[in-house]
Order: sequence, then structure tokens, then C-alpha cells
Amino acid sequence: MTAGDAWRLPPRGVLLVAVVLIVLAEVGGASMARFKLPLARWARDAMLARPAVHGLVGVRDVDERILDEALVKFDAGLRLFHLHAEGMGLVILATTSVAATLAGAGGGRLLIALLTVGGAGYPLGYLLWSVLIPYRGIEGGKTIAEWVVWMPFGGAAIVALWWLAGLVALRMAGRWRA
Amino acid sequence: MARLIGGVGARLVGRVGATRFVLRPPTVVAVLAALAPVVLATTIAPAAAHHVGTYTPQDNAVSAGFKQVKFALEAGRADVALALFERGALRREMQAQAAALPPALEARTLAALRAGDAREVEGHLAVFFSALARDLALEAARQLGRPGVRPPDAAATGSKFLEAIWRYYNLIDFAVSTRDSKRSAAMRLALDDAETYARTAAAPDRLRASLGQIAQILTDVIEASTPSRRNP
Repeated sequence: MTAGDAWRLPPRGVLLVAVVLIVLAEVGGASMARFKLPLARWARDAMLARPAVHGLVGVRDVDERILDEALVKFDAGLRLFHLHAEGMGLVILATTSVAATLAGAGGGRLLIALLTVGGAGYPLGYLLWSVLIPYRGIEGGKTIAEWVVWMPFGGAAIVALWWLAGLVALRMAGRWRA
Repeated sequence: MARLIGGVGARLVGRVGATRFVLRPPTVVAVLAALAPVVLATTIAPAAAHHVGTYTPQDNAVSAGFKQVKFALEAGRADVALALFERGALRREMQAQAAALPPALEARTLAALRAGDAREVEGHLAVFFSALARDLALEAARQLGRPGVRPPDAAATGSKFLEAIWRYYNLIDFAVSTRDSKRSAAMRLALDDAETYARTAAAPDRLRASLGQIAQILTDVIEASTPSRRNP
């Protein structure tokens, strides 16, 4: 094994963020199952308190369908948070290890920061969306989550992943030329 | 042998015959080669723009009860249909809505079920769901007629009511069309008109008029099915 083949670990703070994200995902998943009914009741009550936001018309046959859809999306948001937080925790671990190994000192820090912040922030958008659904509606909550979390953090993660992909391609091309 | 295994990241160590495999860390390039497709797939995936799942509306207790009774009758199990009706939400809803329904509709439905007369049961249930849909259409027209309702709000509200009306009418459309094809066609056209007006939000008055037309057609369906109208 040559010195060029040696793996470098990402900073401890990055590992901590990834582990905390995975722990949050697990706690979120467990809480979803344990508190399914209380959560659904809370969301339903919050929606019934805001009929104008959800377009409720005061007729059971119409409103039940609207509430049901909002509750399904509320639950879907929590599930997607659980799923993405678990996955992005692992993605952070894998990609920052590669970035720490490949990128130089200056670029490496920025790349690792983008991968960590983008990867850890992005799943929280689903949690935010879920929490906002009872107060702002399905689409209203989604718009806020998109602007506040998904676009900035997801954008950072996408930029960082492309950057990393470019580095990987350059390294591989260099190896093949040599 | 050792070279072969070493090529995939493992090597044979120790004395010959002591087949002990030790995994060594893979080379950076090997991992990068494996990781590249994953990185590409991960970065391309967000192009789907935050897919947050789809929602499929489910039956409520009343429409589910209708389907259970209908399928039991179609399967020739009148006893099962009777049991489902007697214990189910369909009958409870009929009792709750009795004031808005033709006289003794629930009793006549029960009698038809006991007699195992599937066609008669279907007719009574068609009347029941027509009444539910008609009440929705009347309520929609009333809400749209309130002063100060903005056209976009009227369109949104009308659209939700139309969805609910269609959910009920869809259950009985076949039964209505086999008894009165003209009214069935008129109902479909009225629904189509109303949906068009609800989409554009430009003509709330026409939307309201279409809802009134729907209510009138359903009232005709109900009246044509009552014993006094059928056997004058």
C-alpha cells in the first residue's frame, strides 16, 4: 500500500454530526410508531382549528377527505425524515471520508463542510414540512420547507457531491494516465 | 491464487495450507470506482424535486359499506349482504339521514335484502346515494352564493364539493344508467360542465348554476324511484 492509497478520516465534528443525524432518525422512527395516534390527533385538532388554511367547508363528506390527505402527508413527512436522516448520515460518513482523502487542505475543508451541512440539514426539511402541514397546509408547508431547508441545504449537498464526483473522476483519470 | 484474491482486496497469508484470509483496506481508487455511480445517482435523483408521495383517497365507511353489500349480492350471498347492512355504517347513515330521504327507504332496503331481491336493493341504494350527492350539490350552491365569495375561492370550494359528489354518484352511476339512461347522461354532462367552470375560476355563477342542475337531476332520480311516482 502506498502513501497515496492511505485513507484519511474526516474531522471528529463531522463524524459526530453524522452519528447524531442517524440517532435522530432512529428516535424519529421510534417516536412515529410509539406516538402515532397522539400525533395524528394533535395534527387533526390543529387542522380543525384552522379551517380556512385547509379549505374546510364544514361538510363532513368533503372535509374528511381533505383532513385524511393532510394526515397522510403529515405521516409521510415524518417517514421521509426518518428515511433520509438515516441515509444521509451514512452518505456524510462515506463522502466526507472520500473528500478528506482526495481534496487538498483548503478545498477539502470547504467540501467537507458542504457535504456535512447540506447532508445533515436536508432531511430536517421533511420534519419541518410535517410540522408545518397542520398550520400552513400541505402546499404552504412544502413551499416554506423548500425555501428554508430543501433548496439551500439540498443545493449545498448537490454542489458538494458534484464537486466530489469531479475529484473522483480527475483522480481516476490521473491513475489511468500513469 | 493469492494474486487473484489480492486483486479484489484480500490476500492469503501465513504458511501454505493454513488458509487464513485477512481483509485489508481497499485501495482508494477501487473504492472511488465503486462509489462514482452512487455519487452520480445521488446527485441526479434530486431532479425529481422533492417527491413527497402520492395520496390515494380511501372509501369512507358509507361507501365501503355500499361496496360490501353490492359485492355480496353479486356473489349471490344475500344473507351476507343482509348481515353487512344490518350491522354496518350504511344503515346507520340511512337512519341518520332519514328526514332527507324518501319515506321508509331504510325499511324498504331491509325488506328487499331479506327477500334477496338484488335489483330492488340496488335501486334503493341508488336513491340513498343520489340523496347524499344532491344534498352536497345544494350545500355547494348555497356556499357559492354567499356574498363576498371571491371567484378563486368559489372555484376551489366548488371543486372539493364536486369531488365528493362524484365519489358518491360514481357508486351508483351504473344503476342509474340502466334505469334511466337520459338522466345518467344529463348528470355526467352537468358534472363535466361544473368541473370545467371550477377549473377556470372565471365563471362562479355558471359553476353555481351547474351545481343547481346537478341537484335537480338527482332530485328527479330520487322522485322517479319513489313508489308513488313509479306506480301512480
